[in-house]
Amino acid sequence: MEAPARAIDAVELEIIKASLDGIVQEMQNSLFRTGYSTIVRESQDASCALLDARGEVVAQHVVLPLHIGSFPACCAAVLRTYDDIAEGDAFLINHPYEGGSPHAPDMCVITPAFHAGALVGFCASIAHKGDIGGPVPGSCSGQAKETFNEGLHLPAVRYQRGFQRMVEIERIIAANSRTPELVLGDIRGQLGCARLGEQRLRELLDKVGAAVALASFEHLMALAERRMRAAIAEWRDGRYEAERFVDDDGVRLNQPVRIHVVVEKKGDQITFDFSGSDDQAVGPANIRPPLAKAAVAYCLIALVDPHIFINSGLMRAFEIVTREGSIMNPRFPAPVNTYNPTVHATVEAVFAALVDIVSSKARADSCGSRSIIIGGRGGRAGQGYVQYEILGGGAGARSGKDGASGTSVNQSNAKIAPIEIIESEFPTRVLRFELIPDSGGAGATRGGLGIRREYLNLDDARFSIRSTKHVIAPNGAAGGGKGRTGDIIVNPGRADEKRLPTRYADYPLRKGDGFRLDTPGGGGLGDPLTRDPAAVAADVREGYVSRAAAERDYGVVLTGAGRAVAVDETKTRDLRAARRPTL
Amino acid sequence: MARFRLTVDTGGTFSDFVYVNEDTREISVAKVPSTPDDPSRAILAGVELLIARGVAPTDISYVCHGTTVGTNALLEGKGVRAGLLVTKGFRGVYEVAEQSRPHGPTIFDIHYTRPEMLVPPSRTGEVEERVSFEGEILTPLNEDALRETVRELVADGVQSIAVCFLFSFLAPAHERRAREIIAEEAPGVEVSLSSEIVPLIREYYRLSTTVINTYLQPILARYIANLDARLKSAGVTTPQKYIMQSNGGMSTFAETAKKAVATVLSGPAGGITASVHAARASGFPNLITFDMGGTSCDVALIKDGEPTIANRGKVEGRDIALPMIDINTVSAGGGTLARVDRFGELIVGPQSAGAQPGPACYGRGGKRPTITDCNLALGYLSPDNFLGGQMKLDTAAAIAAIETEIARPLGMDVSRAAEGVTRIINVKMQEAIKAISTMRGHDLRDFMLLAFGGAGPLHACHMAAELGMKGVLVPPHPGVYSAMGLVMSDVKHDYIRSRLTPIARATEAEVNAAFAELEKAARADLAREDFDDSAIAIEYALDMRYAGQGYEMTIPCPAPLAPGALKTLRAAFDEEHRKSFGHTAPDEAVEIVSWRLRGVGRVPPVETPVYAPTGAPLSAALRETRRARFNGADIDCPVYQRERLDVGVRFAGPALIDQLDCTTVLPPGFDARVDAGKNIIITQGAA
Repeated sequence: MEAPARAIDAVELEIIKASLDGIVQEMQNSLFRTGYSTIVRESQDASCALLDARGEVVAQHVVLPLHIGSFPACCAAVLRTYDDIAEGDAFLINHPYEGGSPHAPDMCVITPAFHAGALVGFCASIAHKGDIGGPVPGSCSGQAKETFNEGLHLPAVRYQRGFQRMVEIERIIAANSRTPELVLGDIRGQLGCARLGEQRLRELLDKVGAAVALASFEHLMALAERRMRAAIAEWRDGRYEAERFVDDDGVRLNQPVRIHVVVEKKGDQITFDFSGSDDQAVGPANIRPPLAKAAVAYCLIALVDPHIFINSGLMRAFEIVTREGSIMNPRFPAPVNTYNPTVHATVEAVFAALVDIVSSKARADSCGSRSIIIGGRGGRAGQGYVQYEILGGGAGARSGKDGASGTSVNQSNAKIAPIEIIESEFPTRVLRFELIPDSGGAGATRGGLGIRREYLNLDDARFSIRSTKHVIAPNGAAGGGKGRTGDIIVNPGRADEKRLPTRYADYPLRKGDGFRLDTPGGGGLGDPLTRDPAAVAADVREGYVSRAAAERDYGVVLTGAGRAVAVDETKTRDLRAARRPTL
Repeated sequence: MARFRLTVDTGGTFSDFVYVNEDTREISVAKVPSTPDDPSRAILAGVELLIARGVAPTDISYVCHGTTVGTNALLEGKGVRAGLLVTKGFRGVYEVAEQSRPHGPTIFDIHYTRPEMLVPPSRTGEVEERVSFEGEILTPLNEDALRETVRELVADGVQSIAVCFLFSFLAPAHERRAREIIAEEAPGVEVSLSSEIVPLIREYYRLSTTVINTYLQPILARYIANLDARLKSAGVTTPQKYIMQSNGGMSTFAETAKKAVATVLSGPAGGITASVHAARASGFPNLITFDMGGTSCDVALIKDGEPTIANRGKVEGRDIALPMIDINTVSAGGGTLARVDRFGELIVGPQSAGAQPGPACYGRGGKRPTITDCNLALGYLSPDNFLGGQMKLDTAAAIAAIETEIARPLGMDVSRAAEGVTRIINVKMQEAIKAISTMRGHDLRDFMLLAFGGAGPLHACHMAAELGMKGVLVPPHPGVYSAMGLVMSDVKHDYIRSRLTPIARATEAEVNAAFAELEKAARADLAREDFDDSAIAIEYALDMRYAGQGYEMTIPCPAPLAPGALKTLRAAFDEEHRKSFGHTAPDEAVEIVSWRLRGVGRVPPVETPVYAPTGAPLSAALRETRRARFNGADIDCPVYQRERLDVGVRFAGPALIDQLDCTTVLPPGFDARVDAGKNIIITQGAA
């Protein structure tokens, strides 16, 4: 056993840890409950954290894993900018370059917490705003070529002094948003949540003593780092390398963007070097280093222990290297608004690099995530409307388990929109909602299946999509096959059928036009010829795999039809033997 | 001859019985070992216990049962082989479910897997039909194809079929016709229609609820029929035979057999119902219920005598869109394990020692320390009085486990380690209480903590103090509290109908017409259950939202609505929104999403008995003195026998109160008194 730091009582430490968990949970509930916009309340695209006086995360409520990188970067900007921080202050920042927001709609509110006159930490939240200006509603233009096309940017600015709001700041924000009331309502909700955190932090310090509490915070971070390093130390030393691609950057179409990582692992040290990634993109596919670091943290938490107590200590257990001017560390003012496909590719490159050394957590690539936006004037109540949906697809196969079908994956976690709500609110009819047979990559364990949704437009509308993996398929791992790519087709099967690119904005749909969205399946894991033939037969019975694919991809010959499908053992053995390369 | 009410709550280990003499109001209790293979055997044993006391079976006037038959079948995947019919092209609704994963560690968990589908795609048939969002038929039902699909399902051996078509909550004709066709093609196969189980907008939640019903319903129907036959053979003839439902109301045997999905929280609902009664009888209308058992701790909030009801919830990760008492569960019980990991961190839970091997002190081979071991080592539990002395506890084994696993690795003594472990588990349970109270805008200073379950009263005082609550209430029979609740409930049926309607364009007459339809169904159902009009109460509510929002708020309303009442309701919605979320949007359009109606069949109440003091002094209840640990000091405490405490006595902590089914810990600085209902009321002294 490693020596625990005797200075901190083990009982006190656990009590403080459970209290911190409660505090960030309470902040989160407060934010979800009082958040004004549906983005905060429904999509719950928001996170809360407690930070120490240096701006390191002490505890975070995990809703969006990526925010773990954003909080310290935002707080650092505040500490860099102000040397007169006082009780009753509040700060705002949403600048991806000055601070650490993934993109400008992610507004961070930070308040300092004081105890007995001393600065003891910060309470912060990040919440996605519906619109903070720029050329398109929602502020995420797929065609943006610099951050100046991505809405209003605030560097660290003081939002409250002596608990009084700076009206000027609110007026600037209001003047720059298409939905000023929602944005200000959410910001005030964030402020309330931060003040609540301060109050509970003070109560905790009163109860256990400030010195004990602050030492415990440091100890919890050290513990998180030790846990990480201990797990990493058990991995095989070596240099591992992997790459993944994003279909395109939204501006230079059909030109894949490369994410490359070299992992150097020795003892309990591990470094992720992304220098080999492509130069920065012209379009908004770039991500800033705090996001790259958070993506790596996401992977390490998944590989080490999903239940680990999340704080900045985790981040000390590894290093990342990014090359300035690259897609992982672009120079100002490169655009960043559509960061999600790049983060998915980063996560998958890291998993791929480590697949052999943490084999119990091996997994193939997944579907990424995508949104479709249909906007028009013919809403059910006769007003303008925006129909916004986020869709997942197939998850990669895992060691010992097939990938999940029709699911959100990695750092994304949106719910699917109910058909009965969509049709009641918008002039759209959904014609089909099902999983796509044979879309999961073949393997000893199979990739999850992608989703097919077909829509009929009942009125003129404009259509936008921000997707990924329509060109580059999700990879299999350890001999597993690729997942099927995604696709977006307008008027499928008609003379005017047309395929749209992976990312596309403002396509005009006429009344009577339809479109079909296929989302990618997950990759397979391991040699498909080793998959249990009974599992293949079950997949055929359940409609996940076609008979033809069972034979072609898995070397499994079936007898009987429909629910009576069974394995022809002899023919399967022969076919599989014939398929295996002779030595 | 006196008439008796008999209630039984079936638990994993024991079936708890409460017998109430309706004339004298006298209450007695019993515990009979459960018979999990057929829970009705234990129930019959409990009935025979009462008959053995000279009560004629025909004098049993009322039976109410809290069952876990449905819950267990769901948890263990032991429902029936079921089929599903969906609108053609939409088999993705069930498979994709919400698409998202639960919050928290799951997002990082590569190995997370959704609960398995209760009906696989191979037993899911697609039916050519389609209804629009306005309830018009876009594609007529293809009956011939449907017949063929049903025949295939039957050939595949299904015992029951769920039917969930798009927009069936608006236009149920296709689902009803499907039932007729199934009856023709497959007589004897049970059918659950989504338009009857829960005619609510949002297809996935409606479908999930209907599938769960179809999966459990034949099992529950068989169980109830079997139980009914056993009761009849024992001579019990009363028609008043009820099952507790998740909504805190009862339903008759016959109605329950049709709607199994409404019983999945039957067990815990009994305890909450008893608490609601306690809230009214004890004069403390605001309570947090705190039910700590062997492996888990359930907490719920009662405000002004009413429990919080959720319109939708998850049971073991499965979605159920029916009203249910809002219960927050954490893994914290007597069997919860504590350990020190290799980083020197003291980890308490969530793993539990379960019934086997159980805590170290049970002497069944458990070597790892649990919460029960800590309570024993601290002197809170008596080694000789556990379960009324039926089970001896091994203090030396408890101490050895704590010493080896915790005290030595951390370099502290056993008492400090044991006290530390209980403090940690208390903080976790406190956070669970905050999640349903302060985090929803309630002020805990207005609430009493109502402690029950085998371990609740051991921890309650420390927790109430830490949470700044008003005090603690320990009811007379905390170990059989769920069965107590079954004595005191009413029959409650929920009816719901979705129809997205902008309030600005609705008329009071339309709203009333929709309510009238639901009310007709409610009155007919209750009449069939032998309630006459004077015993029926109807409660009305509307689910409303700001147009386009993803969630609704339930606003109670009077019915029929008078002209102009919709304006008032709109204002009530704005106000409720402000209270819950801190802001309103009076200029935004508001929509009615669903009509909700609850039919209540009032069962004549049994008043809880009120006792007069006998004049026995406190010393008459003193059993012994035990050394117990409080805040780092060992103190000799008086141990009182609960049953001998007279009404009206008062005493100060430290003290321990032993009774058959649990022990109450009264730390220094707390004062206890026994009220006329024999509740122990504990408040923190003015010290």
